[in-house]
Amino acid sequence: MLRRFRLEEPESVKEACELLARHGESARIYAGGTELLLAMKEGLIQYERLINVKKITGLDQVKLENGTIRIGALTPHRKLENDPVLKQKLPAFVRMEHHVANVRVREVGTLGGNLCFAEPHADPGTLLMVLGAKLVAERASSRREIPAERFFVDAYETCLEADELLTDIHVPALPERAGAAYLKFGYLERPSVGVGLFIAWDQDAAIAEARIAVGCAGPKPKRVEEAEGLLKGKSARDAASALAQAGEIAGRAADAIGDLHGSAEYKEHIVGVLLKRAFQQISEQRSSKSSR
Amino acid sequence: MATKSSFTIVGKAARRVEGIEKVTGQAKFTVDLTIPGMLEGKVARSPYPHALVESIDTTRAEKLPGVVAVLTRADVKDINPYFGHCLRDRPLIALDRVRYVGEPVAAVAAVDALTAQEALSLVEVKYKELPVMATFDDSLTPGAPILHPDIQGEGAYHELKKLQAEIQTNVCHHEHIEEGDVGTGFAESDRIFEDVFEFPMVYHYTMEPHAAIAKVDANGITVWSSCAHPFVVRAELALIFEQPLSKVQVLVPYVGGAYGGKSYTKIEPLVVALARKAGQPVRLEQSVPESMLTNRRHSARVWIKTGVKRDGTLVAREAKVLLDTGAYADNGPRVARRAATRIHGPYRIGNYNIDALAVYTNTCPAGSFRSIGGPQSIWALESHMDIMAEQLGIDPLEFRLKNLLKRGDIVKSGAKPMDADLLSDLKQVAVKLDWKGSAKRRTGSGVGLAVGVTDSEAVPVSTAIVRLLADGSVVLMSGSTEVGQGTRTVLCQIAAEELSVALEKVTMHSTDTNVTPFDRSTGASRSTTVMGTAVRAAAADLRAQLIEIGAEILKAKPEQIVLKDGEIIAGEYRIGYTKALHTYFGMPGGELIGRGYCRPGGGMSPIYPLFWETGLGGADVEVDVETGEIKLNRFVGLADVGKAINPPQCEGQDEGAAMMGIGHTLFESLIYDKGQPLNPNLVDYRVPSFRNLPAVFDTILVENQDGPGPHGAKGMGETGIVSPAPAIGNALARATGVRIRELPLTPERVWRALRDKSSK
Amino acid sequence: MAEGRLKAEDRQFIPITFTLNGRAQEIQVEPHELLIDVIRNRFGFTGTKRSCDVQVCGACTVLVDGQPVSSCTYLAFEALGHDVLTIEGLAKNGKLHPLQEAFIEHGGLQCGFCTPGMILAAKSLLEQNANPTREEIIHFMEGNICRCTGYKKILESIQAAAKTLRQQSSGV
Repeated sequence: MLRRFRLEEPESVKEACELLARHGESARIYAGGTELLLAMKEGLIQYERLINVKKITGLDQVKLENGTIRIGALTPHRKLENDPVLKQKLPAFVRMEHHVANVRVREVGTLGGNLCFAEPHADPGTLLMVLGAKLVAERASSRREIPAERFFVDAYETCLEADELLTDIHVPALPERAGAAYLKFGYLERPSVGVGLFIAWDQDAAIAEARIAVGCAGPKPKRVEEAEGLLKGKSARDAASALAQAGEIAGRAADAIGDLHGSAEYKEHIVGVLLKRAFQQISEQRSSKSSR
Repeated sequence: MATKSSFTIVGKAARRVEGIEKVTGQAKFTVDLTIPGMLEGKVARSPYPHALVESIDTTRAEKLPGVVAVLTRADVKDINPYFGHCLRDRPLIALDRVRYVGEPVAAVAAVDALTAQEALSLVEVKYKELPVMATFDDSLTPGAPILHPDIQGEGAYHELKKLQAEIQTNVCHHEHIEEGDVGTGFAESDRIFEDVFEFPMVYHYTMEPHAAIAKVDANGITVWSSCAHPFVVRAELALIFEQPLSKVQVLVPYVGGAYGGKSYTKIEPLVVALARKAGQPVRLEQSVPESMLTNRRHSARVWIKTGVKRDGTLVAREAKVLLDTGAYADNGPRVARRAATRIHGPYRIGNYNIDALAVYTNTCPAGSFRSIGGPQSIWALESHMDIMAEQLGIDPLEFRLKNLLKRGDIVKSGAKPMDADLLSDLKQVAVKLDWKGSAKRRTGSGVGLAVGVTDSEAVPVSTAIVRLLADGSVVLMSGSTEVGQGTRTVLCQIAAEELSVALEKVTMHSTDTNVTPFDRSTGASRSTTVMGTAVRAAAADLRAQLIEIGAEILKAKPEQIVLKDGEIIAGEYRIGYTKALHTYFGMPGGELIGRGYCRPGGGMSPIYPLFWETGLGGADVEVDVETGEIKLNRFVGLADVGKAINPPQCEGQDEGAAMMGIGHTLFESLIYDKGQPLNPNLVDYRVPSFRNLPAVFDTILVENQDGPGPHGAKGMGETGIVSPAPAIGNALARATGVRIRELPLTPERVWRALRDKSSK
Repeated sequence: MAEGRLKAEDRQFIPITFTLNGRAQEIQVEPHELLIDVIRNRFGFTGTKRSCDVQVCGACTVLVDGQPVSSCTYLAFEALGHDVLTIEGLAKNGKLHPLQEAFIEHGGLQCGFCTPGMILAAKSLLEQNANPTREEIIHFMEGNICRCTGYKKILESIQAAAKTLRQQSSGV
């Protein structure tokens, strides 16, 4: 049951940031509410006022500009999973969105809301990290871009300042010879482990760049650069053994927590399994693309 | 009674009689009702598993605008505050101490739910923590504190020949059965096998949480409740509030799932006490997390030991089933009783010595849940059967076929002999699974079997009234609760068949104990068999009256009369029921009333059990050896139903039961840590979704018209839950070589077992 | 906690107009009010059920502009300008929708508590995808829990209704 609160409905980013600055911790941004309202109903958190930013126009669009896909923070998951630009340019992102929670959550929940709530079991952050996404945060008079891997500070905690609003997510379109995947695994309602992988190949079909991120297992999603280095320069054939080692490193780096979703040891193991399968998925897509 | 060969309604896929109400949103459940002047109730619950309640201060809560009443132990001094149909061990609100997290300590009635909720935070309770008995191991430790030094005696519905509460221990009930001589049996055995299995606590998750509305006034007590057993609730309320049964009215709207979780009395005494204090009607609508702390299935540890001849003949069995019954007895004693028989199983085994103990702990009270004691015992028994077969080098199917009881064989002395053809049933399941072809499977894929047979708990006491109204329509008055199982449709079918009227002519309303005649309860797969017998008897009584009246009007002999399609026919003369009634009463009104009773010896055999309920299962699984995840390629369920009054509804019951079984097999588990529940919500407690639908899902109904119910029907709908766990566990073992003895078979558990095996 | 509650004079009332089951409505809601409570308590449409209360089970599903949402976690003021459909609005002029017919005919319901949400979610699915595969049905419907049926007969009900709807739209 929700306790009473007051509602503010700013019509501009500036107005929203001013409201945040004025009300401090007694107020919180409302951008869909799929996580926030659950916690408020449960009585875990309370706010005197919610600031509904969904009246601000232009923050729920997906646009391709100069090779960068700009996703408005208030775009609902359902719109993202069906977006034609994303389907063409970032199919891995569309697949991830297609499997966020359930259809009702995807209908109402927004990408920005999901990122800002920083629920440890959320999917998008992990994939955005390997896609090289930047998160645009605005204040009344300033604006900054935050690399996705620096956005999450802890469970339910981001690097946003009290008066900052996440407005856009910028994702570079996938380069020519590259692929990405996000795989998750679990047996409760929310995933136990999520793994994001980005692979770019050079002209000789060796791995030019690899990016690995792990989510859900620990308090926040993480890039695992140490594991990425192992894959670099490897041919498809050599990748297998490097992957196993990368999986172990990524597993250890995940800060996996033993809880209802599995022991830390199991989650670490699953990181390796998902990493291997993500690589298979990307490789298969690549070969099916090249055979076309 | 109508001849068996010429059914027009029974045995047909009749549409659910309340279907339209349910697909249009018209169907009213308890939470959908509004009573004039109704307040909303909320409950302050204990955060401690075991503590003394030192003081309760409600002053601030009472001052909150909108609060009408705050109920505490101070308000129940003039009544008998204890309830419990087996043992009266449970106060309707905490008295001197709390025994589990979630136990009601205070209750608020306010003008709206939000006010009531806010008032809860103003109730100040001081507790003094006591040692926690988190598991039965704690409770059974010598010198452990006694949780119930003050049981108030047997409950209104104990019906047990002797309750064996071991007073001054924490054993709530100890069931012991034995026959033959196990010592000699084991001595004569070539091999002796011994195993221990664990079964988790699981939650019913009825999608409708428990809810009740109560009103107390000069007319007595009125309660609308999402309960499956209104007559039990009536009896218990009468006892608590010292009212005659006639002054306690229990009404049951549609119930949004029960599965045992709404059996017997739950929140009704608390809501009545709150309404009595408030002087206004009060509604208590529990949340799912609250209902998860209201009732659950018993977790269990099952020790089983079997002596076998080299050729696979079973000789002797010892078993001990420990059941965690939680803080209060609820139906625990009966669960222990059933668990004992169910671990014996449907096999020829002359020497056995079995104990089943329901043990108090500081956790949520456990009670009835679809096939009480069945899933726990049969998970152990049927896994144990496969383990023995493997060790003996005998095919598990052949091993079972060798030992299964044939029709008419004695299960245990004094009990009804086996009344189903288990051998042919099991062969049918094996054929569906392609058992023979499964030997050639690659690693990671396999099939498994399980035989579930349970002694139905059905108490054969039901009454029914059938009224033929002046226009030829029929009102059926029966106390069976429509919890989704389709009893209303089935009972209407039975009445319509007997009365030779179209099904559309028959209406059955929900129970109002002031109007509806007595029924023992809705549970134990008894409604079709027992209530069906009462309904058929009532309709037959009415039919006899119609024949008599028809004979008089048509000037024929009663034996010349035939009833067909709402008409009384004697040769070429015929008269419709409507006209016959008008003629009989001399006016366009009046009605005929048929009465039906079912009681032991009166329409129903007094020998226990009424029938053996069957639920055989076969699973075809695929194991992801890297993650440990089990996928179901196929599940086959088989139920011997005697006669399916409504075949699609029988299938639906069996499929639902199997899916619930799949839930506790693969992931369902209510987890406690030192008496604190860790996952009482639907995010962390996972139930099956569409995702878990087996790729192929078969249901086989066996109909030999050999049950004690109407047209040879026998009960079904419960035992389908017992087979999935052992069938899947056996399939896993055959697919991978790993045997897991603890449910649920989570991916992690399977992965660990696989890893341990490969590291050996 | 209760000390921090909003003072009576600070309560906020938001006027909203929206369409509920085809009828225009104009009401005032407080910001904290949930759509499920407004639908049930003010309009008496109790077919929308509250169960898990955490967007897992789907019992409270209603359609907003044809899309399924959890009314238990949907603030009522958000209905402004939208078209809300509850189970009570599905049958037209006393004629059941093919999904409603199919659920009765194919045993897609038992206790009935999940049924309103189940049928509405399926309606949304079939409007977006007239001929869904088994996997597409499972994916769309996996957030609607039924504890009674084991899902098989619900799946069959949806498949049967899809067929009927396709026949209707092709004029067969």
